[in-house]
Amino acid sequence: MWAMIVKEFRQVRRDRRTLAMMIVLPVLLLVVLGYAASFDVKTITVAASGPQAAIVSRQLKAPFDITVTAPGQGRAWAQNQLRDGKVEMAVVTGGSKPEVLIDGSQLFAARAALAALAALAHNGGGLPVTPNVTVLYNPGLTTSDIMIPGLCGVVLVFVGTIITSLGVVRERQSGTLEQLAVMPLRPADVFLGKIVPYFLVATVDLAIVLGVGIAIFGVPFRGSPAVFALGALLFLFVTLGFGVLISSVSQNQGQAIQLAMMTLLPQILLSGLIFPLTSIAAGVRWIAYFLPLTYFNQIARGVMLRAEPIGPLWQSFVFLGLLGVLVVTGATLRFRGYLAPAGREHGGPGGNKAVAHPQGASA
Amino acid sequence: MTGPAQWGASGIFVAYGKTVALADVSLSAPAGQVTAVVGGDGAGKTTLLRCLAGALAPDRGSVRRPPKERAGYLPASSGIYPDLTVTENLDFRATGYGMSRADARERAAAYLDRAGLAAAADRLAGQLSGGMRQKLAVIAAMLHQPELLVLDEPTTGVDPVSRSGLWWLIAHAAAQGCAVVLATTYLDDAERAASVLVLDAGIALASGTGEQIVAAMPGALREETARPADTTRAWRRGGRWRVWDPAGDAASVRPDLQDAVTVAALAAAAGQR
Amino acid sequence: MSPLAQCAGVTRRFGQFTAVSDVDLVVEPGEIVGLLGANGAGKTTLIRMLLGLIGTSEGEVRLFGEPPSRRTRGRLGYVPQGLGLYDDLTLAENLAFTAAIFGSDPAALPAEIRPYAKDLVGRLPLGVQRRTAFAQALSHHPDLLILDEPTSGVDPLGRARLWETIAEAADAGAGVLVTTHYMEEAGECGRLVIMADGAVVAEGTADQIVGASQSVLVQARSWSSAFEALEDAGLQVALAGRGLRIPGADPARVLRALGDRPATVRQVPATLEERFFELVQQGSATGATA
Repeated sequence: MWAMIVKEFRQVRRDRRTLAMMIVLPVLLLVVLGYAASFDVKTITVAASGPQAAIVSRQLKAPFDITVTAPGQGRAWAQNQLRDGKVEMAVVTGGSKPEVLIDGSQLFAARAALAALAALAHNGGGLPVTPNVTVLYNPGLTTSDIMIPGLCGVVLVFVGTIITSLGVVRERQSGTLEQLAVMPLRPADVFLGKIVPYFLVATVDLAIVLGVGIAIFGVPFRGSPAVFALGALLFLFVTLGFGVLISSVSQNQGQAIQLAMMTLLPQILLSGLIFPLTSIAAGVRWIAYFLPLTYFNQIARGVMLRAEPIGPLWQSFVFLGLLGVLVVTGATLRFRGYLAPAGREHGGPGGNKAVAHPQGASA
Repeated sequence: MTGPAQWGASGIFVAYGKTVALADVSLSAPAGQVTAVVGGDGAGKTTLLRCLAGALAPDRGSVRRPPKERAGYLPASSGIYPDLTVTENLDFRATGYGMSRADARERAAAYLDRAGLAAAADRLAGQLSGGMRQKLAVIAAMLHQPELLVLDEPTTGVDPVSRSGLWWLIAHAAAQGCAVVLATTYLDDAERAASVLVLDAGIALASGTGEQIVAAMPGALREETARPADTTRAWRRGGRWRVWDPAGDAASVRPDLQDAVTVAALAAAAGQR
Repeated sequence: MSPLAQCAGVTRRFGQFTAVSDVDLVVEPGEIVGLLGANGAGKTTLIRMLLGLIGTSEGEVRLFGEPPSRRTRGRLGYVPQGLGLYDDLTLAENLAFTAAIFGSDPAALPAEIRPYAKDLVGRLPLGVQRRTAFAQALSHHPDLLILDEPTSGVDPLGRARLWETIAEAADAGAGVLVTTHYMEEAGECGRLVIMADGAVVAEGTADQIVGASQSVLVQARSWSSAFEALEDAGLQVALAGRGLRIPGADPARVLRALGDRPATVRQVPATLEERFFELVQQGSATGATA
């Protein structure tokens, strides 16, 4: 039995991917749970409009953080600030009573805002006159309304990355990639031919999630389907491209899944899907801005819940677009490397059998 | 048929990093003939065949091969999808090479039948035995009637019965005018081919017909019953020992192809010291 | 002296399918027995029964005079088709592992593979891998060796060297049971056992098995034309270098089929492979093989 233990240790020591998983994963979880996993909202960004905007901005103290004051603007402007995700709360002055608008799609910030307003009113301080408070976009403050848009993203990541990487690795594993290389097929044919089925599957999955969400859970879809579709399309390019990239660095399906999981887990935990971005400690939050799912979440929630137009979402679209181009180009190049005879094939001679061998007589 | 009568390769040199896979290897593959490339694992057979098939570009040297649509290739790992049925695999190959589905089905049916695979047409390729899968792979490679057929170790690990089925397919292809190049570690395969190229560690040790290679064997071969003291030029065969004398001419046994190939390997090894 | 391995009337069924049917097999000390057969002939199942991995449906298997057990495993050396080595351990680590399991001294590495001791097995050339598998199987000085296609993929010189190792073990008194697809290696075995459809169809030396079987050798000016003519006449034709061979055919019939095509036709002794094929086909007459 001792011999088995020694042998296993020796094998594990050399399996870098499993080691990475065994070491990186606990560290990641620790970091996330330590710094990121929090539903506490520490500051609430506020925009103030109307003639008493300046007064209001002095009166509302922590946890409120007045980021914009616009004395010349009215309710419509304030609502747009919320719609475009610029602030979490808006105070509209100029009427008989000040009006407070809260963005219900930022679930935890909204709850925190309501609690803070109630506390201020109770303790005195805050606004002298009790304002009218309206929660926009998710008046019931239900979790499902904000989760379903996020789920759309998860579905696309799942199909895009995991399943695509499996499908392409399978070609490598069964040695048929080489056969494709000598058939009169263009690399683009092979690449697209492999990707399109997963593209369609992902689209169907997305339709199902949206359908069920809207029909059964009553999630609203207030914005432009075209904007949503464009966002989904770009996001899908990114995830499919990642899938192909993962497959091009994996020797078998086991490795592909490992790598896919390692890219999936940070996205689920840090993209704002579960824990709001603002709650994540700044030291860790920067990671989120490199994750594609973060941007798709913003698009999905913005469009579905707040009818956000494409303009304010430009950052997300640009990021996804650029990342998509980068990833798909990388994937195509690597793919073409397998299919075109020009250039060296790594791995040396032979398919599954022979290996590069030292000079000299064989045996 | 268009194009030169002779396909082949000249002066091929391929290196992977520091490892030389092929050094100045040439091969000619005449139409209507079977050419065997013989050598052990690591000899460079797969690399040479990949150059011929167009899956790899050599560092130096030239390859004469038909365009992709007129060539067929069987890679070392069969190139068959295990999760498609026999028929589905052949359909994919047919459409990939631009054949009409009807034509392909007809030709495939004849081959499958002759190869004993007709009953397995709807079985998943991954569930076929090794020999049957190789037969399927060869049929898939020759379905579109290529001018050059490159087969990488189609018979390795295949039992003798399936092997004869494979050889029927190969003979049929050659009889139709195709140039067939196949890699093998079996010498009885080499004896069936019209001409042979012997590779060892990337170098061409011998080439020509079986008889030519035997005739060109240098030195003489003796047979001894006891193990000689120095076995660097001796090897066991059939319970006795064969001893090669590079400079001698006192032969006690007539060499065959196996002897000639072994001697060539010994000579090459000696030449490197 | 009692045989090292003995199968008496061994039969093995899997549901409706009979994999091995009434097989008698014996391996004596010092002899090399070659087991030949098509895939699906039952060789692997028979070996698994000898190893004690599966039981018999009927009949008896004895290793060293007793049924297979953990104790008999200790006197047995086995090299499976897939070599049974760990690709991600070095050569030395692999041998150390086996030595620890069998309780033998870590084998002094044979000279030919010593330079590779610290290399990962997965990166070694096949010939060295096979040598290592042998060294592993021999390290505890077994009395019986069971080798499943031990030389597959190796070049002729390398194969001869591997066979030297096998022969040395046999000379030292071990019994060896070998399966192979290389007909040229059949000559290395003292005795051959040919299986088809689960039963033994022939036994003896290569010469004994071939017996008086003959084939017809045709050398024609245009081999492809001759090939087609012979095929059309319903004959089983095989390529043979620049000629054609038709096993077991009547020369007169061959001449008739060739018509006036220029060719020489003569009878030659059959090869072991042709005789093997004939035996297997006769065996298959009772039912289709896999």
